[in-house]
Parts: sequence; structure tokens; C-alpha cells
Amino acid sequence: MNEVMFSSWGGTIVDNRSGRSTPATEIKVPSAVAGKDVAAFISWDGLVISDNNVDVVALANAYMAEAAHLACGECSMGYKGTHVISEILTRITNGQGKPEDIDFLVELSDSIQKNVKCDFCANTVIPLRDALKNFRTAFDTAAASKEAALKLDYIKKVTAPCQEACPIHQDIPGYLELIRNRRNTEALEVIRRTNCLPRVTGRTCVAFCEKNCVRKDIDTPLSIRALKRVPADLGIIKPLNSDKISKKDKVAIIGAGPAGLSAAQYLSIKGYQVYLFDEQETAGGMTFSGIPAYRLPRNVLSGEVDVIASQGTQVRLNTRIRHVEELRGKYKAVLVASGAHQSRDNGIDNWNKDYDGLMEGVEFLHAVSSGKPVAPKQKILVVGGGNTAIDCARTALRIGCKEVTVVYRRSRHEMPARDEEVKAAVEEGVKFLFLAVPVKIQSQNGKVVGAECIRMELGEQDASGRRKPVPVKGSEFVFAADMVLPAIGETPDLTFLPQGKQAKVEVTSWNSIKADENGITNIPWLFAAGDCASGPATVVEAMASGHKAAESMDLYLNKNKIARPESEAVDSAFHDVGLSRSRRGPKPAVEARAYPHEMNAEDRVKNFEEVEECFNVQVASREADRCLRCYRVMLIVTRQG
Amino acid sequence: MVKLTVDNKPVEIEEGATILAAAAKAGVTIPTLCYNEELSPAGACRVCVVEIACTPKSITVTSCNYPVAEGMVVLTKSENAIKARKLAVEMLMAQHPHSDKIAKLAQTLSMGEPRFSVNSEECILCRLCVRTCQEVVGAGAITFVAQGLERENREAAVVWNQDKCIACGSCAYICPTQAVTLNDNQGTRTICTPSTKMEFKLKACTKCGNHYAPEKQLEYMARTSHLPIEKFDLCPDCRD
Repeated sequence: MNEVMFSSWGGTIVDNRSGRSTPATEIKVPSAVAGKDVAAFISWDGLVISDNNVDVVALANAYMAEAAHLACGECSMGYKGTHVISEILTRITNGQGKPEDIDFLVELSDSIQKNVKCDFCANTVIPLRDALKNFRTAFDTAAASKEAALKLDYIKKVTAPCQEACPIHQDIPGYLELIRNRRNTEALEVIRRTNCLPRVTGRTCVAFCEKNCVRKDIDTPLSIRALKRVPADLGIIKPLNSDKISKKDKVAIIGAGPAGLSAAQYLSIKGYQVYLFDEQETAGGMTFSGIPAYRLPRNVLSGEVDVIASQGTQVRLNTRIRHVEELRGKYKAVLVASGAHQSRDNGIDNWNKDYDGLMEGVEFLHAVSSGKPVAPKQKILVVGGGNTAIDCARTALRIGCKEVTVVYRRSRHEMPARDEEVKAAVEEGVKFLFLAVPVKIQSQNGKVVGAECIRMELGEQDASGRRKPVPVKGSEFVFAADMVLPAIGETPDLTFLPQGKQAKVEVTSWNSIKADENGITNIPWLFAAGDCASGPATVVEAMASGHKAAESMDLYLNKNKIARPESEAVDSAFHDVGLSRSRRGPKPAVEARAYPHEMNAEDRVKNFEEVEECFNVQVASREADRCLRCYRVMLIVTRQG
Repeated sequence: MVKLTVDNKPVEIEEGATILAAAAKAGVTIPTLCYNEELSPAGACRVCVVEIACTPKSITVTSCNYPVAEGMVVLTKSENAIKARKLAVEMLMAQHPHSDKIAKLAQTLSMGEPRFSVNSEECILCRLCVRTCQEVVGAGAITFVAQGLERENREAAVVWNQDKCIACGSCAYICPTQAVTLNDNQGTRTICTPSTKMEFKLKACTKCGNHYAPEKQLEYMARTSHLPIEKFDLCPDCRD
């Protein structure tokens, strides 16, 4: 926003109504939405007005009406209080106000801020209180007026810090509220609206939401991922609402991983005839071959695929597409979601795939997952610091390998693997060797006998913000091992894509497909999503990417447009707000976080049984009760004319 | 043990106890409505609100579910606490002007008529029935449907699942506003809730013929006590 007339954003008052001009460069609210200038913005952290013509009372009325719809009813002060405020404001804007209304609004909003159960209502009244305090004359005049105010047009968005952090923007406070009230079937419905793999994500999601949970600043974030598993496992699956009109267009999706499955679900409920191809004999992509069964049992994953297929997607397994052009005649649009399954060049000297004891990490995981025999070894060296490395190490123990060491070139602090995974690996007896990297394989008679390694030290920060490891000269040492498994990253196989002169798919310097965040490539009918476009990422990011690409495909097929969806243009305007975890409500009492039970380390390394248990309904309800319902309602009024 | 003061009276209580328990120990009465010592606290009615003096600013919390802390200074009758409590009660009065329990609360706080009215069913969403059914009865037949984002049902409400309900009537007994009522007539028990009217058959004693308990409740008791259902053929008066 360039010219701010009044702002109470963040608790700082900027008031230029008397003609002074204070620059408002620090106010992080949208300045324009879909090409229109913003005249007013109101949300949990204050209100911002940049146009004299905005009716503040009507704005407060619209905002409180939306907010009252979100009050949950857990406490009477919040629920009835916000409704009473909304009714009074509506009465005033209808020209039926009473002079004493305004003092009462001040008293009631003050009490709501101090005496409600969760964060939602306590924060919701903040901009109303700012308005009442700073625009008192306008409110008094409106209360005395017998004329109805003009109707206000506005754009609304409701989100929460956890929801914003989630790539698929799950309505997290919404399903937690239902879990708290033991309504798991309805919770599952809320989850499935934007998540086609609830049981998979309830077990394996990296949970960006937990990192942005407001509870983090009070005690500990909620166990959101483990809570999601409760409705996913216990709720009854109901068919999703699909578009009534079925469309004749056939679409093809290459790759039945999370990106492809997510796109398939979206397009099939939109009424398209969806064909999902995968070269493997099992669907799931990296969630099948890369995530071991002790974290994600096979029947759980196949169950999820069955649900998606039951919504109308035709799943064609064991089908490798040789050239994507061969699909063109039959299908109106093609989504490439083929993942990243090839191991990156590991850079280790004397690497010879024919040696006994050498295998790429992902190949190893895939072999074990598909039930192929992999002979256990005595001393294993896993190379890398990500989740794949940890999965390799824990899997190696389970097939009967004796001693497993993970070697990582940086230190524990920089490891990209999930903390809980690393902890579990340590419990199971996996050893770690930090600040070292293998440089050469040592072999005897076609067998691996060790790896020559070199010590590293951390130098300057690199592009990823982490300190770059630098080799220490003369620090070479030999690590005896009869198996070496590098798990240092994967890269897509793009050989089946159009390579001809007329239609050549653009690729990035990382050998991934060049696509924007909506899956749009340089070829109109070809879209890309998931790891093959982004490089190796998480399940939930792949799902988000698949969903966005599917929306673009719908726009292309239905309206013949190659563009980002309009809803997203509005959404992105709100991204600028900086949906921080800041809160001005009262501080709730500290409550301990519940963690799901796990099988003890001694027993679990003997087999591939699922390590983590599902919360029971009671424990889940209690844990979900820690949610502060940090929904933020945001309203934007755009400048007229 | 944790040491604190409630209205300047020193009190010592085990860690994890609530302010309400500490106040009771110190001999200070805090008015409550949705609290019941047999049930987990809900913090729904906001009547038991108290002030905790702390720097830089004192805070108001509900004493039924806020844990004590060492050196805590609790004020149950401070201006802030009274103001918040009165408005909480006024809100309840506006919702339910005929409830004796609420009228009594208003009386102890010397309050007049509410300044506004609230369109509302008799249910004040205190969830005493929900908690009783889940935690004491164990049937879990009553659940709370919150209002919220994209909910089809736009009003928050307490709902009954007739299949799970054993017709014991605990909900009618515990309800502070008579939003749930129970009526036994000619072998039928009728339970009326804000959203449903449910009828259940009552069991007749095989000896005296008196209808003495709902059949579903007896089945539930037989199931949970692992006794054969025949054990419940006789009413308590006809048993040896």
C-alpha cells in the first residue's frame, strides 16, 4: 500500500487523516488484488485504510459477520459474544442503531479479548477495538443515523499459520476441531478435500504445519501429523462431491506417485476421463519404493490408491510410456509426474556397479520394497544426510545387516532428515559419522572391502544457507565396509519426453522439466508436476504440485487458457500479509504434547512391522484440544472505479 | 507442592492442580456453572474467571482449567475479574432468562436484567451432558458439533446419536437449563433434546410388572458387567 490514511497494523498507529504524511512502507498488507488498488484491509492484527470513502462501520460489520461464522461454540463468551457484536453492527448499518450501542460494543469486545477459551475470538476482536477507538465519531454518527449504509463489496480469505505453511493448505484447525469432538468421519471428509493420501501423510508427512504452529511459542506444537492419522485410519470414507457434468476429454497422467494421484483425484472429480500410467507394478511412486514398510505398510498405500481408482481414475500399471507423443492422439492433455528415481552421480572413484556390495540407495530401497532378495552384509556404509539415507540405514538393519553407519559430509545440525527419523535410527543402533565423505571404493576380487574417506570442515554459507563442507587436506582414512549405499539425491529420467525440433520440452540445469508453479511447460498440452519438475521433494509438496497442475489442465481443456487460476491470484495477494505466529490474545496454560506410542527399538529392528501406533480416540481428542484455532479472517475492499 | 495466594490467603497444593481447587482449599468460593468435579473441565461458560496478577499486565483465566504455579497471585474478586464474570453471566442470562441456576448466579453477583437479548435455543453449549455421557456413562452418544469453516451446519450444537444412546437420562439430569428433558410414561421413556425427540422402551419387571429401567441401559449394563441379560429381569425391589 502506497498511501496509507490510517493503520493500526501490528499495534502501531499510523494516522495521516489530519494531513500529516508518515510513510507506511513497513505495513505488510496487500496493495492490490487482481489489478485493483486496495482501499481497506482488516484482519487479526489491525485495520488499514487508504481511501477516505471507506465506511469503517460497514467494514467492521462485514468483518465481524464473517468472524462470527468461524467462532466454534466451545465457549459462550466467544461464540455468543461475536454473534451479539455482529447483530448490533448490522442493526447500526441498517439505520437502527442506538446511542448506547457503541459503549456496549467497546465493553463487549474488551471482555471477549480477555475472557475466551482459544485464540480465534481473542484475536478476532482486535481490529474492531482499533476501529472503535480510532473512529469513534464515525461509529457514534452511524449509531445515531436512521439511514442504512451502502452495501460493501469485499474479498474474503480465511486461513491459519499452520494452513499457510501446508503446501496443500489443509484446513487443519477445522479437522482438529472435529477430532477433538470425536467426529472422525467428518474430519476425514475435511482432510480429503485437499488431500488424496490421508493415511500416507498421517504417517509420513514432514509436517510443515507443525513448524508454524502457534503453540510453538507457548509450549510445543501439536502432533498434527499423528492426529491426522486418527480420522484417516478410523473415519469412514465417503465419496467426494464430484462435478455433475462428465466431460468427454481424456487426459493422461504419467506416474502414479503422490503428484499423479493428486492430479488424478482432482481431474476425475471434475468429470474428466483420467488414465494414470506407471511403469512399476505397484502404484505410489517414491512412497512405495522409497518409504519402507515399517513407516508405511504396503496395504495402507494400496488402499489409498483403490479409493482414488474408485472415483473413476483408470490405473494402468506395468506400462512404460516410451515417447510422450504417442499419447497425444488419444489424450487431450498429458501430465508428466514421473518423479525422480535415478540416482545422482555419486562422484566416488572406482565405483563399479558390478562389485558385490555396491548399490544406489534408492535401488536398494526399491529392491527391498518389491520383495527382491537382498543379501544382508556385515558392515554397511550409507552415504548422505537426508531421509533416504536414514531409510536405507534402518532398512539395512531390518534385512539382517550387522553394523550400519551413516556418513554425512556436514554435521548433525545441517542434516535435512527429519529429527524423529534420526532419533529412531539412533535408538535402533545406527551409527553416524559426521564431517566426512567417501571418495574412493576399495575392492578385492570384485567385492567391496571399504571406502576411502576424507574429513570435512564447515566453511562459508552456500546458496542453501548452510555452511559449505570443505575437505581437510591430508585427512584421508579408510572405513572398512562390505556394502556402500549412496543416498545423496535423485534426478528425473526424461528420455520419454518430446525431443524433436518442433516440440522440445525445456529442461532446467538440474535435469528437471522446466515448469512454473502451476505445472505449465513450454508445450501447451504438456504439464509437469512433482519431483520430475521440482527435483526431489516431499510427498505433500508433490501432491500440491499435482493439484495445481491439474487446475491448469482444467483451465486449458475447459477454457482453452494457459494461465494461472484466478483464485490463486487472489490468494497470492494475501501471501504478502506475512501470516506470522504473532498473537495478542491472553497466554494459555502450558500443556504437554502427546506423542504416539512406538514399538520398542529392540523388537522393531527384527521385522518390517509398522513402528508407530495410532492415537486412540480419547488421547487424540485431548491432544486436539490444545489447538488454539488460530484462524485469521482477512477482508479486502478494493478502490471503486 | 506449589505455594500461591488466593485473595491474599496463602495456600499450598500439589502441582498440576487447578486454581479452582486451590481456591476451595483456601476457603474461597468461585462461582461456576459448567464445572463438575466428576468431569474434565470445559472452560465453556467463563463464569469461574479470575485475575492473575503478573507483570507487565495481569491476565484473566478460567479457574476450572488453569493450573496453579509457584508464587501465583490469584484475585477472584478484583474489579477485572468481577467485570468479566458479570458479562459472562449476562451473556448466559440473555440466552436463557428462565434458568434457575443462571438466575441464582446473577443474584449472587447483584445483577439486573441483561442489556441485550440473544436468539437462542435453551442449550447454552456448556457440554455437561457431552462430558457426562463420555466420561461417566461411557456411552459416548452425545457429541458437540462446532460451527466453523465450511461446516454445513452453521450453528454450533450438541447432538445425540440414538443408536449409541442407552436412554439412561444422565443428560437430562445434568443439564442446567432444562434443554434436555426426560419423561417416562406407559413403558416408554421419551428424551427430548434441542434437536431430537427419542423414544425408548422400558423394561417391565418379570415379577411385579413395573417398568423399572430402559431396555437399552440394561443391555449396556449386562454387556459391560459381563452378566447374562436374565440377571436384569427383576426390578431392584423384587430382587433378593
